Amino acid sequence: MKISICSKKTGLDSLLDERFGRAENFTIVDLDTNIVETIENTAKNDASGAGGEAVRILSKHDVNIAVVPHLGPKAEKAMEAFEIKTVSQGDYKSVGEVLEAYKAGKLKEIVKINGLTRL
Amino acid sequence: MKIAVLSGKGGTGKTTVTSNFAVNIKNSISIDSDVEEPNLHIFMDMKNPTSKPVYTLYPSIDKDLCTLCGKCGDFCNYHAIIPAKNQVIVFSESCHDCGGCKLVCPNGAITYKKREIGKIFNGRSKYDTELHYGLLNIGEMSGVKIINQLKNYTDSDETVTFIDSPPGTSCATVAAVEDTDYAVIVSEPTPFGVSDMKMVVEMLRQMKIPFGLIINKSGLGDEEIYHYCKDENIEILGEIPFDKKIAELYAHGEIFSVSIPKYKDLFNNIYKKIVEGRRSL
Repeated sequence: MKISICSKKTGLDSLLDERFGRAENFTIVDLDTNIVETIENTAKNDASGAGGEAVRILSKHDVNIAVVPHLGPKAEKAMEAFEIKTVSQGDYKSVGEVLEAYKAGKLKEIVKINGLTRL
Repeated sequence: MKIAVLSGKGGTGKTTVTSNFAVNIKNSISIDSDVEEPNLHIFMDMKNPTSKPVYTLYPSIDKDLCTLCGKCGDFCNYHAIIPAKNQVIVFSESCHDCGGCKLVCPNGAITYKKREIGKIFNGRSKYDTELHYGLLNIGEMSGVKIINQLKNYTDSDETVTFIDSPPGTSCATVAAVEDTDYAVIVSEPTPFGVSDMKMVVEMLRQMKIPFGLIINKSGLGDEEIYHYCKDENIEILGEIPFDKKIAELYAHGEIFSVSIPKYKDLFNNIYKKIVEGRRSL
């Protein structure tokens, strides 16, 4: 089971990125082995559709759960199509903090209102 | 001959200049290619135009043929087509209709469907001149396709076509200006006007399109535009004064050289300069 977290820099000390599709990096944690890997979000500077492409990148890295700030309509549709579950990063500040919160079951699922995701 | 009228900054007088050319230069055609918010037809008082839809294509996937190989997703720069787990998702509004996904699909699973993105209106003005404009549907990302189709109405050598272009230096402006013989920049002598004009100058030089400048609202702002033109060797074709009477006429939807005939010569002389300048090349 792999979880992805939107991060500004690398590793567990990094601050969270407030954007999904145009996040700097994704820190991916394998919850079974605790191996932490940070990948660059190569979609971040794309002209359009960065959200959908970012989901595709996560899928290529076998991510099952994505921790996100919020999602645009295209990213949301792509998450469904790639069967990736999404949870909200809430007000947590660092990758390590949000990871612990996830493990403790404190992160909320993203709620959809009128096709747009809201926290 | 095709002459583009553009500005960089919005609201400097592109449509004012285009409409004044259109009513003064005999047998001219005018085109409003600012398809996001066309307004030339209002000033020209277009009568009973005919319209036709403009379409764009977007991919449709045959699920039986698709193997989810991912090549279309790797190819698309705009991420309009995304091969997912058990399906391919298409964001039709992001598609630029390049036809590339069909070319890279090894299984022939992609065909195209069409979607209306706007309309083109053709007709004549109350000044009995030929006029065309495009209108992009609300929510659409790009009017380039409409602009390219609008420019099919310019292909006569005997007539001159004035193309009222979109502001800025975006894809839409490039499309409007592409393949024109000359560009008239309309700027106002303010810091914002000059700043945005510089981007237009850079764009036109890259596109190798000869150009000159009309200063609108002359008397407003400062002297920077004159220094800039001198330094950069840019020809000032003419100046329209900052005059309340002109602004009032604009507000009433009137073309100012029709109401104040002394300005007819301004546009006729500018046009003469452009034509003579081209002959001397």
